[in-house]
Amino acid sequence: MKRLSLLSLLAVLAVSGVPTVSDARVKLITLPVRERVEIQLDHASATLVEEERVVPLVAGTNQVDFSWANTNIDPGTIVFRVVGYEGDIAGKAPAVNVLSVSYPPGENALVWDVSSTHSGPVRVRISYLLGGLDKSYNYRAVTEHDESTLALSRYIRVKNFANEQYDDTQIHAGLGDKFSKPIGINETKEMLVERIARVPITKTYTCDPAQFGYTDQAQKKLRVPMHYVLTNNSANGLGGEAMPYGKVRIFQKDSTGTTAFIGEDWGAFTPIDDRMRLYLGVAQDVVVKRTIERRDRTKVGGNLSHYDVVVKYEIENFKDKPVVLNVAELIDQVRNEAGFGSGHSAEWVIGDQTTFTGKPDAEESSQHRIVFHADLPARKGDKAKKIVHKLHLVFRNQF
Amino acid sequence: MKHLLTLILVFVFAAPAWARNIDLSTVPTRDTVQLTIYNAEDITLVRETRIVTFKKGVNPLQFSWANTLIDPTSVELRFLTRPDELTVLDTTYPHDKPQMLYWNVASEFSGEARVEITYFTSGITWSADYTGITDADEKAMRLEGFVTVTNNSGEDYEDAQVRLVVGTINLVEKIEQLARRGLIPAPAAGAMLGGRLDRSMRQRAMKGMVMEAEGMALDMSAPMQAKQIIKEGLSEYFIFTIEGKETVPNQWSKRMRSFDAADVPVKVQYRYRINEYGNQLVRMFLLTNDDEAGLGQSPLPDGVVRLFRANDTGALSYLTQQPIKYIPVGDKIELNLGHDPNVVFELVDLRVFRDNIWGSINAKLRRRFDEPGVRIEDRGRVQGWDQHTVFAQRIRNYTAKPIDLEIRRSFGGDATYISQTPATRHDYQTVQYIARVEPGQTRDVTYELILRQGSNQKQNRVEIQSAKPAAVPWLD
Repeated sequence: MKRLSLLSLLAVLAVSGVPTVSDARVKLITLPVRERVEIQLDHASATLVEEERVVPLVAGTNQVDFSWANTNIDPGTIVFRVVGYEGDIAGKAPAVNVLSVSYPPGENALVWDVSSTHSGPVRVRISYLLGGLDKSYNYRAVTEHDESTLALSRYIRVKNFANEQYDDTQIHAGLGDKFSKPIGINETKEMLVERIARVPITKTYTCDPAQFGYTDQAQKKLRVPMHYVLTNNSANGLGGEAMPYGKVRIFQKDSTGTTAFIGEDWGAFTPIDDRMRLYLGVAQDVVVKRTIERRDRTKVGGNLSHYDVVVKYEIENFKDKPVVLNVAELIDQVRNEAGFGSGHSAEWVIGDQTTFTGKPDAEESSQHRIVFHADLPARKGDKAKKIVHKLHLVFRNQF
Repeated sequence: MKHLLTLILVFVFAAPAWARNIDLSTVPTRDTVQLTIYNAEDITLVRETRIVTFKKGVNPLQFSWANTLIDPTSVELRFLTRPDELTVLDTTYPHDKPQMLYWNVASEFSGEARVEITYFTSGITWSADYTGITDADEKAMRLEGFVTVTNNSGEDYEDAQVRLVVGTINLVEKIEQLARRGLIPAPAAGAMLGGRLDRSMRQRAMKGMVMEAEGMALDMSAPMQAKQIIKEGLSEYFIFTIEGKETVPNQWSKRMRSFDAADVPVKVQYRYRINEYGNQLVRMFLLTNDDEAGLGQSPLPDGVVRLFRANDTGALSYLTQQPIKYIPVGDKIELNLGHDPNVVFELVDLRVFRDNIWGSINAKLRRRFDEPGVRIEDRGRVQGWDQHTVFAQRIRNYTAKPIDLEIRRSFGGDATYISQTPATRHDYQTVQYIARVEPGQTRDVTYELILRQGSNQKQNRVEIQSAKPAAVPWLD
């Protein structure tokens, strides 16, 4: 390990019975070097550095002087811990106490006043929060040609703008194993954390006018984005730990044996057993035309009415394989489009003209948003079968 | 060594002493000094004693405090020995010498007396802070408390007895303002002595400790403990007295441990309280300042708590830091660790419907819309209704441990809360319930809220009913 110049630890030997340090004209100062450094990057916004040094203490009181320059150490967070004893005193377990800490004016420094019952080297850990050293994650995924699985590689990127060089430093990012890499000042280092060969993925197509809008407003053609969904569980070769937030770049193997970039998205923090959903781009071969087919008012009395609204979807799958389309609607948007929006929450039920099979997706749906799934057959030859679905919503007690 | 406070005994033959061109004076040094430092206000009571030799008759005493932050209105002189034979005749603040006063003391004897001078100074402060390190499974914590004394008063205080007062006192004027204003118009206040001090000051700061070490030279094997801090109640306040004496030079800070509790039980609870923690579920560490926890010797003053976790490897992980308010003996210590990304907490609206809808014409004839045989004509308007909303409070626990939650939600207006999950009313409009979610599980706590709207609203409070919430047709 190189000598680190910015952080220094001085132990001033002050043996009882000799002139006090305030009177001393000749001082002896030892310079305990850093034996080991560990950087904890497991907190979302703070970096904890732990350094281990062997400090020679004398029986009695000792001044241990810790100073730093040009680094952003939070002095309030500095913790001094004794973790072991060396040499002749290894088996004696001497009592070592921090008596007080003094902060000199105008300096990035502090002085621990440490007492020890025996003379000998003591292994201490000094921990502190350090600014300018942070981490981020990114992923690289390569899908098979049939898009059934992908090879997922996760990388960590550590940026060192802390103005301190770290050699042979153990770094723990909170996820994955600790690793040891030298990181110089102002250096950024990227490392592979893990690579999973075959992670099953689900490819989804979604039309949701409130969220994704139209590709052709005049023709009422909806934008249909395509997503990859992967689950962070052991069955998929994942699930050992949460997947951190980071950019995911996705490539697909092509027929020539190389890969093509097919899109990227920010992958959300994904706990174990949860799903990561990645938006890759717009599917051009699934065409959905949406219209409000019916809007009827039934007057109850006074200004109180019921409304029937039917949304019609004409869907064509020009792909050569069947797909499942998620059809989502924001309830208030439908009500506004039908011209009877109000400040009161919508009271609605699903009407009997609805053609989607089964109930709405229980996990994706709520009072405000409803999601159905529609199975779309593959095209036959160059002809795509037009599938028509209807969503019938009955809005009650509107005023 | 920098002492800006001086007490001078002036030898004169005729008054006024300060008018003479040629003076002779002696300087009695400080014998003892005690600092009583308050944390709620910038005020420190300094009590110092000196030995002064008097002659029989009138003795002028000069007390000056150049470049310090002493409130001149607070300076008092008391005689600790032979008080019946010593009298302060008058106190004079000379017009041409700010930060100085003269006492004329009448003595009935010639000889020594111990005097006590007390005054308030600004610029000496103290604060508390705490470091907590939990074990790896977060069931117990080592909690250490510290007090830090900072001296920016302009004066070095050596070998001082230090007392720290916890509590809120009332001051009608700030000591710093009184110090700067003085009793007479003063020239522009000189800069406080300061700047970067010589490094040798470190040794001076340590002097008190080293001297104590010398005293222990006979038995080195005896473990030297950090100084004890004696705690005692006084009226509405609490006084921490630091054992022995401390030296705190001007512009230095000194931090000392006030307690060390090795094994404080920790309860982890997740809370949703929008008024206290914002619109998020937060993870809390709950401790109690009592004997059972190894605490409870004194209240915990306001201060910053820094939390770490000792991992299985012995390394620390930083958790959070946050200020805490004064915690009396026996009270809870609640530490907010913030959002836990491994617990997903979402409120899902499942259904809205309305009933008990009333209409009226010209606010006179009031009828229910669904009353048999009643037809509200076109001019009729809805005046009152009950709105029902069915919610699912969805909690997904992606951690490896079961979690306990306490959830509070407030509902304005005339409301009824219906759920099969037991709930209590925290206040007139807030419902509280608890839930446990096992690792890897998702739990929905379902409830129905009825809000009476328009003319149906008769109250402003929430009632709780233990019953099954209304069905959700699209889901059930």
